[in-house]
Order: sequence, then C-alpha cells, then structure tokens
Amino acid sequence: MASRIQVLSLCRALLRAGRKFPDYNIRAYTKRRTLDGFRMNKNLTDPSKVNEAYAEAKTQLEVVERVLMSYLAYAPKTKNIMEIKLH
Amino acid sequence: MASKVISTTIRRALTKPHGAVSRRHHLSTAAAAATTSTATAVDSYADESIMMKGVRISGRPLYLDMQATTPVDPRVYDAMAPYLLQNYGNPHSRTHLYGWEAENAIEIARIQVAKLIGASPKEIIFMSGATEANNHAVKGVMHFYKKKHVITTQTEHKCVLDSCRHLQQEGFEITYLPVKTDGLVDLDMLREAIRPDTGLVSIMAVNNEIGVVQPMEEIGRICKEHKIPFHTDAAQAIGKIPVDVDKWNVSVMSMSAHKIYGPKGVGALYERRRPKIRLEPLINGGGQERGQRSGTLPTHQIVGFGAACDIAMKEMEYDEKWIKGLQERLLNGIREKLDGVVVNGSMESRYAGNLNLSFAYVEGESLLMGLKEVAVSSGSACTSASLEPSYVLRALGVDEDMAHTSIRFGIGRFTTEEEIDRAIELTVKQVEKLREMSPLYEMVKEGIDIKNIQWSQH
Repeated sequence: MASRIQVLSLCRALLRAGRKFPDYNIRAYTKRRTLDGFRMNKNLTDPSKVNEAYAEAKTQLEVVERVLMSYLAYAPKTKNIMEIKLH
Repeated sequence: MASKVISTTIRRALTKPHGAVSRRHHLSTAAAAATTSTATAVDSYADESIMMKGVRISGRPLYLDMQATTPVDPRVYDAMAPYLLQNYGNPHSRTHLYGWEAENAIEIARIQVAKLIGASPKEIIFMSGATEANNHAVKGVMHFYKKKHVITTQTEHKCVLDSCRHLQQEGFEITYLPVKTDGLVDLDMLREAIRPDTGLVSIMAVNNEIGVVQPMEEIGRICKEHKIPFHTDAAQAIGKIPVDVDKWNVSVMSMSAHKIYGPKGVGALYERRRPKIRLEPLINGGGQERGQRSGTLPTHQIVGFGAACDIAMKEMEYDEKWIKGLQERLLNGIREKLDGVVVNGSMESRYAGNLNLSFAYVEGESLLMGLKEVAVSSGSACTSASLEPSYVLRALGVDEDMAHTSIRFGIGRFTTEEEIDRAIELTVKQVEKLREMSPLYEMVKEGIDIKNIQWSQH
C-alpha cells in the first residue's frame, strides 16, 4: 500500500507541475482537480483501493508532465485578461 | 545524344551553387521577417494589449462561450498526440502493422463513445461532426423509407432546419412545432401533429442557444407508441447530462466531439440496431463504416473523441456540481446589481452550463461590443454574423427588443469563480453605462410604460 508520505509527495508533485501551465484556465483546473481528487479519497482504507487511486494520480502526473512541454512551447504571447490587473 | 544529356546535367550541377546561395539569401530574409514579427508581438505584449479587427483588448478575453466550442482537454490532447506523430497508419489498411494499430485505436474509441450513451459499439458511425450527422439522419431516414412527413421544432439547430427545407423542395412535408414560452415542446401538440405518413420526429435534446432540456423520455415514448423513428441532436447533451439511448428510445442520435473538450471536425451518429433503423448514405465511396459513411477515418480525431467521452463519463458528476455552482453565482451576481434581467428558456429543465440572459433597455450589439474582454455571444455562432434577433428566442415569443439584447454565457469544466466574478463586474458596468445613455431607461424610471407609447410615424 502506498504510504502517507508517498501520497502527499505525489499530491505536491502534481500541484507543482500544474503551476507551470502557461494557460490560466488549465492551471486553475489542475490545482482544483488535484486538491479535490486527493480530498475525495482521503478516507480510503482498503489497500487495493488506495493503490488504485495512487496509480491513477500517478498516470495523471505523467500526463501533466508530457503535455506541459507542448503548452510551454506554444504559450500565447499575450496574457489572459484574468492575469492582468483591472484598471 | 547520351553525351549531350550528361553535359547538360553537369552544367546544371555546376550552376547549382548559385541557386543555393540565392535560396539561402531568401531564407535569411524569411528569418529576418520572422524576427521582426516576433519583435512587434513582444511590443504589444509589453503594453499588454492586442489589436485585432479594430478593437484594442488588454489581454486574451475570458472565455464564456462553451456552447460554440470548448477548449481541448489536456488529457485528450495527450491521447491524440501519438496518432499525429508515429502512429499515422490508415485504419483501413489490412496488410501491415500501421493499419492494425490505427484500427485498434478506433475500435477502442468506438467503445468509449458507445459506453457514454449506453449503446453498443456496433451502433456508432463516425462522421465529421454533428452537422453531417444531422444531415445524414434527417435526409437518410426519409430517403430510405417511403414516408412523406417529418415533425421537428422551430428551435432546432440550423442544420436540421435546413435539411428539412431541402426535403421540402423534394416534395416532403414538414411540421415545425412551436414551443412553449419556456422553450419546451408541448407533448399534446406533438401527438396531434403525428400523421399515418409521418416518417421521422427530430427534436434536439439540449438547445444550443437557451440550454433547455426537452422531455426526451416522453417524446421517445410517444414515438414508440406510433412506431415512428426518433432522431435527436445530442451535440450539446452528451457528456453533460446523463444520456441513455434506450431510456430515450432514440433511433438515431447526432454527437459532436468539440462540445465536450474534444477536437473539432469529428462527431458520430448513433444508429439503432434493434429494431434496425436504415439510412441512405450521404457520402458514397470506399464503403467504410459499413457503407454508411465512406472516406478514411481521421484516427487522431476519433481517438480524441473517444478520450473526451471517457473523461466526460468519469467527470460528469464532478463537473456538473462545479458548473451548477458557477451558474448560480453568475445569475445571482448579475441580479443583485441589475434590474430588468430576464433568463430566456426554462430554469428548471435546463443544462446548467448555459445561461441566456436578456437585458432590458440596452442595445445588444453595443453591449457585445463593450464586452470585448469577455468572450460571449448573442446566440449561435453560426448566426451571430447577422443583426437579426435569434429565431430561437422569437419562437419562444420573446419581444423583439428583449431578443435583441440577449447574451449567452457558457460555463464549462475550466471556468473559474474569479472569471465569473469578473464577467459580472464587466457586464454590470457596461449595462449601467448603456442604460445611462438610454432615454428609454430614463422614461421607465419616471414610471412611463414604454409598451403603451404610440411612436409617431413619419
């Protein structure tokens, strides 16, 4: 079974990778989905269920790491309006 | 003769360096042009604004037009990428690995799409999108069975209405059912409209402009009683509300990928096998998709569609809760600060990601022009080029002035609370500004009922 430390470090890794998205909406979604996903499974005790959730999160981290490269390569030149202070 | 050929080749080869030099020179100009263009882009980035179509916008607008299209989900993009890179085989090639791996990918996607709507994979026919699927369904069913009458509604998408018009020219008869003021179909009227020669009932599940959800199960039951094929355009429904082809009793159903965070240019048609519905194909050729839709299947797009369906199925509950919360936040936020705001279409039977609002006493085009930092539209993207008020709102019996001022807010998976708050702030500011200038609003505040004014004629 994945230990508490392993789970928390995976959560942190996902949050850290998600912060690098240049797209405002994807960045916000990754953060919200990661936190909600880990919270949803907070009370899992069945080892097989825990391992399943851990493996699922791990594949998600791999997806983030892969697509992040493309997002960074094709980042738009202008910022999203939400990243600019309203005059 | 032979020596002459050789000498010309040699001469050509010798003159080549010259050509190469000029080509390199050409390349360097291209590179120089590219640097200048990036330089200007950086300049515009510096003052944080974009100039396009004569409008200056300070940044990329916040996107609230999810009914027009949705951004591609990163997970969908991840699934698609290998099929744009090394797995480029033609899925119909039977003689090598490239073809086999592409075919496998398509069959997996077919299962994913079928699972989302409770169908069998054999009932899914991939197409270029919901427009093609709708054309294929309406024309295909009517051309195959020798019946003369089609029932549809006045609020259907343009591609269904235009297919019906096309059939009318061929001699078919069409009944365009009116809708109630909340946008829903009157089931008694539907029953009355059915004739012995009715060959198809086509009613969309979720409206693209006002987001109302039709009573699909009841309509399906009526069609079953009368043994009439039932077609539904579910482009705005799949992945957003629970869809079950058996519960709805649909015979044919159109779907699209780019409304559920998939790629554009791909969709599918569900065709029931038990009892079997038969359609005359629109496109003839190599006989792909069991002869229903010839043409090589776009592997990467279909893989993306499948992935989008798979994610939509897993995330439906989570997304719905989020979107519902944002819809309430948006409506309450605007209602708190503005009066004379009307929601178009039923509020009870509605997909939460669509909020179509009309603002009294302002002019719609000026409102949209003033809201350049919010990407919204007045209605369907297909008809937003015209200044005519939406035919959907007119079918609901919305007054001309209110139909002109409608704005469709589309909320989706990637919309944030901060975006909703900013949209409220900008909309309220713009509406207040326009109302300040409007003599009509002044008169209303003084207590004059503008509906009773006799405007003098010249």
